[in-house]
This record gives sequence, C-alpha cells and structure tokens, in this order.
Amino acid sequence: MTLPPLVEPAAELTTDEIRRYSRHLIIPDVGVAGQKRLKNARVLCVGAGGLGSPALMYLAAAGVGTLGVVDFDTVDESNLQRQIIHGQSDIGRSKAASAAASIAEINPYVRVVIHDVALDRDNIFEIFGGYDLIVDGTDNFATRYLVNDAAVLLGKPYVWGSIYRFDGQASVFWAEHGPCYRCLYPEPPPPGMVPSCAEGGVLGVLCASIGSIQVTEAIKLLTGVGEPLVGRLTVYDALEMAYRTIRVRKDPNCVLCGPNATQTELLPDYEDFCGAVSPEAELAVADATITATELAEWRTAGKDLLLVDVREPAEYEIVRIPDSTLVPKGEILSGEALSTLPQNRQIVLYCKSGVRSAEALAALKDAGFRDAVHLQGGVLAWIRQVDPSLPSY
Amino acid sequence: MLTVRYFAGARAAAGVAEDQVPPGCTLHQLTATLVARRGERLGRVLGTASFLVDGLAWRDRDRPLPDPAVVDVLPPFAGG
Repeated sequence: MTLPPLVEPAAELTTDEIRRYSRHLIIPDVGVAGQKRLKNARVLCVGAGGLGSPALMYLAAAGVGTLGVVDFDTVDESNLQRQIIHGQSDIGRSKAASAAASIAEINPYVRVVIHDVALDRDNIFEIFGGYDLIVDGTDNFATRYLVNDAAVLLGKPYVWGSIYRFDGQASVFWAEHGPCYRCLYPEPPPPGMVPSCAEGGVLGVLCASIGSIQVTEAIKLLTGVGEPLVGRLTVYDALEMAYRTIRVRKDPNCVLCGPNATQTELLPDYEDFCGAVSPEAELAVADATITATELAEWRTAGKDLLLVDVREPAEYEIVRIPDSTLVPKGEILSGEALSTLPQNRQIVLYCKSGVRSAEALAALKDAGFRDAVHLQGGVLAWIRQVDPSLPSY
Repeated sequence: MLTVRYFAGARAAAGVAEDQVPPGCTLHQLTATLVARRGERLGRVLGTASFLVDGLAWRDRDRPLPDPAVVDVLPPFAGG
C-alpha cells in the first residue's frame, strides 16, 4: 500500500538549507519537493527517553520543520546508558529542555516546541492537534493506550515502537488505513505481569534499532514515499539479529476503530484502565504495608523477621537491603518457593518499587501466611529514607 | 495444521521458534497443548500474550481455530 504525502511542501528552501540537505535532495524519491514537505512538517515525539532520543535527533537532522517534545521527567544518571539526546551535564535538568538544546545544536532550522507536562485526557487533544504526525516513545501501557485512543479519535497517524531487553517492535497505526494498537493488543496485560524496562532492563542500543525504524516510517509518511508500515508489525530480535514482519489486520470487533466501535471518547482514567496493581494485590496490601522507616525500626528493636527480596537475581546483585533472602516473585506465584518460607516468623517482602512485592504478598496471603507484609516503595524507598549510601538503579 | 510462531519472550520461554499443532482446537485448548509440550514458563507468557490468527487478533478462547492457520504469539511490552 502506498499513501499520499501527509504534508504539503513548504514554499521554498533557503540556500543554507539546500547545502545542508543536499544528500536528501539528490535522492530522486525525496528531492526538493520531499525536503520541502519535511520542512513544513510538524511532528510530536511523546517521550524524550530511550526511543525519543534517536527519534528526535534524526528527525531534527532530517529537517523536520517543527518538532514537539512531550516529557515531564528530569534526566537521571541511569538514563544515560541509552538516552543519547541527554548528556552528563543534563542530569537533573528537564528532559524536554535538554532535548530541545540538543536539537538546536543538531539543526538550528528546526523549531522546537516544549511540552513539559504529563499527557492526560484533558490536554492530549489540544497538544496532538498542533501536529501532523505523532511518534510514540513512551514507557508504560497507560500512556500507550491514551496515545492510541487520542490518535484514533483525532484521525491522526502515529508511529509506534516498543522495546524490552533484546526485543523490539514497531508499526504505524493509522485507523483510517489499517489497524490501531488495540487491534494488536486489545487489552492491557494484568498489572504486575509484564515487567517494565526499569524492572527488567533494556539493551541501550536497542533504542537506536527501533527509534531509527520509527524515524524512517515518519519520513516516508510525511513525504509519501515507499510502503508505510501500516497493517504490518516489525519484530526485532537483537540476539538472533533478525527482523521479521508480521501482518496485522484491522480488527472488525475493535472497540475503538471497528465499524461497531463502542468507545467514542477517551477513557476516564488510563492508569485505572491498566491498573497499578491487581485488585487481589490491592486487597492484600491494605493492612499489610510498612514503610522503610518502620522496617528500620523493627530491625533496630531486634524483631525476629525474614526479609524476602522478590526481585530477579541480577537486581539483587546491584543493590539489596542487608540480610535479605532472594526469592524471585515467579517462584512465589508458582507456589514452588512456599515450602521454604517459615509460617512462624514475620515475613517482609520487598521489590524495587513495591508493585511486584504487592503481587507476591497476595499469593502469600492466599497460601496462609496471614501476617506477611510488604515494603512500600521497595528498595528505592529504603535507599531514600534509610540508607542513601546504597546505589539507586 | 496450525503453525504457531513465537516472538520475543514467548520464543525464549518456548525454546523454539515454531510449533506445529493438529487442527480442530480452540485457543484455550491450543494453549493447554503448548504448555504441556513446552512447560509452565511458556504458560506464564501465554497468559498475557496477544494471539494473531492469520493476522487478526483472536479474542474468543472457545471458538475453534481455522485450519490451516498461522498463530502468532506476541507478548506485550511497553518500554520506550
């Protein structure tokens, strides 16, 4: 399938621009007309993180006239392993501002619009409304469903990409011409079942592999060249070094973009839709949550307790609360570790931030460990509140 | 015959890229067959995965799958 260009050409290119973009201009399929379309294009990148970094940098270098950056976060040292638009001196700075400064250095002819906010149902239509194309580089399911729903309801195309460890996926979702994200993933996974990159890790350079696919697709859509990745999903396996393309059809029963769509507006609450933790975990933690300070007090008082780390071994190696025992969450949920845990001692579970330990706590309570509790905020809270000398990750 | 193609975490959990399964089963029965063949680790991945049957998301776990068909198993992840 070929599609017409998304953007009309700008009136002209300046002499400086002709010099700068000469390697594009001499490609017959791009040419002066294509470069003028890029100049006239307005592209919004949601997230200036792993995927947003290479996406924004290449979109800027390619000469996209207006680049919007949505990010409310600040640059953290642990971002720099993959978020190459930010540098050492940007630590602590707003990601959107840091990205804007890098873009200005790459290409001063790009107009950057900073949206230093969290996208939500109240601002997304207004923000998206100012752009021709969206690039989705967010890092959580709630924002991904929000971006998809807003794009479909506004009739806008967007280039989607997602990464985890050594795996990546990319596609173009444009409900007018093909499937949307909900046609591929109708429902978000149950909370706590799919680890994020912060929990499971990601190979830094994977961001470039997927981010560059997103930029390629963005340029193709804006200029109308080639076969856009509509109705197809590119799946990348870095360990195998293989790209595969899977056909994805528009779901006739899609609640959002199908002919009998039942969802005609944004959901009231996307966090709620994706669930921070499962209802079981929410119930389990209701009267069984302690803070890092309380845990420190229990230990100072000499209380007999077993501190169980439910993260993965690699995380345990990075940092742990002293005198804790590693029992990964999966072994608790599957039941295989239950016989190794004492019924007559106070059990305290912790993970990185408190989501996985809540899920594990629900399983423990089900298995009869009625007094077990979990640590609110996980090891990160312990570091913040009790022992700042430990490394955060 | 059904051809099941595993991607990303599903492939790692299955230990193989593809499985062939006799036709005439529902998605529910198919996942039970695959877990019996490849183990509970795959079962946990299948619990959250999206199943594309000849490119179309298959939500009904109790409707018989077409024959022949290619079933793509795609675990979701949201990292960026």
